[in-house]
Amino acid sequence: MVTVTIDGKQIEVPEGITVLRAAQSAGINIPTLCDHPHLTPYGGCRLCLVEVEGARTLQPSCTLPVNNNMVVKTNTQKVLDARKFVLTLIFSERNHFCPYCQVSGGDCELQNAAYHENMTHWPLTPNWQPFAMDASHPYIILENNRCILCRRCVRACGELIGNYTLGFEERGAQSLLVADTGVPLGESTCISCGSCVQVCPTGALIDRWSAYRGHDEQAEQTQTICVGCSVGCGIDVFTRDNNLLRIDGNWDAPVNEGIICEIGRFKPMAEKCDRIATPMVRKNGSLKATTWNEALKVVSAELKTLKGKSDGVAAVISTRQPIEAMVNFKALFADALGNSLVTTTEEGLFTESASKLADSLGSAFEGKLTDMLEADGFMVLGTDLVHDHQVAGFFIKRVLGNGPRLLVLDSDENSLNPLANKVLQNKKGTSEDALTALSAAVVKLGLAKKASTIKASDLDSAASKTGLKSEDYLDAAFVIAGAQKPVILYEKGVSPAVLKEFAQLVGASLISVKGKANSLAAAQLGLEKPAKVGAQKALVVALGDDELSQKMIKDFEKIPFKVVIASSASPLTAMADVVLPAANWLEQEGHYLSLDGRLQKANRSLTPAAEVRPTAEILLAMAESAGVKLNSDWSEELEQRVALTEIVK
Amino acid sequence: MGKPKISSDWMAGCAGCHMSLLDMDERLAKVVELADIRSTPITDFKVPDVSGVDVGVLEGGINNTANEEVALRMRSRCKILVALGDCAVFGGVPAMRNFFTIEESLRRAYVETESTDGSGKIPDDSELCVPTKVRSLQEVVPVDVFVPGCPPDADTIFYVLSELAQGRIPDMKGDKLDWH
Repeated sequence: MVTVTIDGKQIEVPEGITVLRAAQSAGINIPTLCDHPHLTPYGGCRLCLVEVEGARTLQPSCTLPVNNNMVVKTNTQKVLDARKFVLTLIFSERNHFCPYCQVSGGDCELQNAAYHENMTHWPLTPNWQPFAMDASHPYIILENNRCILCRRCVRACGELIGNYTLGFEERGAQSLLVADTGVPLGESTCISCGSCVQVCPTGALIDRWSAYRGHDEQAEQTQTICVGCSVGCGIDVFTRDNNLLRIDGNWDAPVNEGIICEIGRFKPMAEKCDRIATPMVRKNGSLKATTWNEALKVVSAELKTLKGKSDGVAAVISTRQPIEAMVNFKALFADALGNSLVTTTEEGLFTESASKLADSLGSAFEGKLTDMLEADGFMVLGTDLVHDHQVAGFFIKRVLGNGPRLLVLDSDENSLNPLANKVLQNKKGTSEDALTALSAAVVKLGLAKKASTIKASDLDSAASKTGLKSEDYLDAAFVIAGAQKPVILYEKGVSPAVLKEFAQLVGASLISVKGKANSLAAAQLGLEKPAKVGAQKALVVALGDDELSQKMIKDFEKIPFKVVIASSASPLTAMADVVLPAANWLEQEGHYLSLDGRLQKANRSLTPAAEVRPTAEILLAMAESAGVKLNSDWSEELEQRVALTEIVK
Repeated sequence: MGKPKISSDWMAGCAGCHMSLLDMDERLAKVVELADIRSTPITDFKVPDVSGVDVGVLEGGINNTANEEVALRMRSRCKILVALGDCAVFGGVPAMRNFFTIEESLRRAYVETESTDGSGKIPDDSELCVPTKVRSLQEVVPVDVFVPGCPPDADTIFYVLSELAQGRIPDMKGDKLDWH
């Protein structure tokens, strides 16, 4: 610890932190622009200049490490004049004419900085050089005229996401933010995560949807959980007059610390769907609007005749639904009505084998997402982290340049191959042989962290079964077993028991990415059966805002009586006998169990239309209508079986 | 001594700042009690006294030689010059013209415009003023008080005029600046 005096206040701070962070920890506010608490300091804007006793010139506090007995002054006349001068230079550099910009009026950090210094104008003639505007991207507009060259976006794209699309070309007054080697953003390697938009202090990077639709002050902000996949990122949802404005990553969320992906940030805006507004019942061949009472009467009449028949109702729920809905669903269709085919749209595909292993072991065996943040080696097995569970992919991509290495094992071309240190593309159906070969290679290299039944001599035969060379496995073994804290990510199609053995062999944390948002909760509730249709007379699909695969829709066609609980129209609702309008994910609240066992509550940010209801409530009403009483306390439900990863509340 | 004399004029502006001035409604009567409003573009007398006024208020930026004359005239005839509104403070909306050459702008306005039949001619009579790069007031004459806003709201303008009318320079900070 060192002692530092800032504005006469003496404080103790850890060695090595910057003057800026030291000041902030003592509640002293030094204005900044290019600084951001989640990015490495850049020191480019010079707004944070402070006086340091003994220093020849003013120093940028964001990059200056503290020294013992340092004396700092942050608001002398010299500092205030310097700040005004810095802002004058920034304002006169490009087109910072506030009236035409939608962040003007509270959402622009540059404007706020000038107001903070009580600047009424800037005394330099503006540099009237026009810069290009890039509107090629489907979601993001890059307006170079408003850029203050702070490089927050470049740092976010690199340090937080690991995509490294944004950079700067030219120098001095010609400095220009570009994508890749200077191509339009819409044609670049940009993956549309939107982190750049979220960190941009001015209106240089904006998203098309929310621009000009209101200031943050005019919007309601709801902290909730993204339901796009099983990672469970924390998000801030901005709404105004019951309209969705935009979605930001929540910087304080422990899972993702502010980053989200295209699916969480932009897809909700881009989706166009035909919302179902009222309950509908099929009369004389076509669906007619009706009341909730009528619709539920029709449903319960049918359900009552099937009570006690184990193959009476085929019941399927979406894994995007919260635990509250899943619990009501199971209580009604499995417990009360005694049906056997009660499952989810995922059919346990991503969790069944792992759940069975946990059952037999009597304990959890998977690791946590936080293990990825400390990992120095990764193995990705047959899962596409570039298109799904993207934030888990970001955790890998952003550290690959700094030491940690990546091994990909996939019988298909994996999207992470270009970034991998070693790729093993084994023949289809040989994943267990591949793991045997890899284990043998690890043993052969003497890198095994525990004793194994697999011997080094098993390498050649196992390798040849997979269509790869033994040398490939030896290279791969270095990558994963050479790491001190490796993490293995897998999806499905590999025996978890075999993987667990391998993980123990190399001392790795093993994590399956699972499927959609509540994949793990479905597993805990035992909703993992395949949706194999037999002689069922009725079908109930609690689809919500999810989609059903073509195959499932086809399989379900033959069931005579179909009830669909859904948010929008689809081929499934078109063939239903009863359609019940469901709230989408923003319009309902509920709990979700993320892929690594984190129990989180999603909050509602929009009010659905009058006749639209949350799925949990619909199932409750359905139960009441059929004379079944449901218990609303689900706290014990998740503990019914051993979880494959420890559940954290 | 008499009441302080105030004159205003406008150049490349939309008159919005003067409309905002009028928005102070009945408070205008208070200002008139304290000061002698000599000339404005919206009253009968349009030109500031040759003998000079105490406070000159200018709305709009400078985008041609005629505006330059108005700015120079007001500056030479007043003790304290106020730049009223964003156009006067830094160029405002008309300043967007600076991203194009003057030839391009004139061609767009007189030849390529939707309301002419293609035989448009750019006026070049020697009696006409000449378009220039759009400038803020301070790029042409020294300015004493800056009142940003598009337009500055009536409360701010009332504050500025009443301070000046009582012989004080208005203190532009806090919600006088951040008027959204």
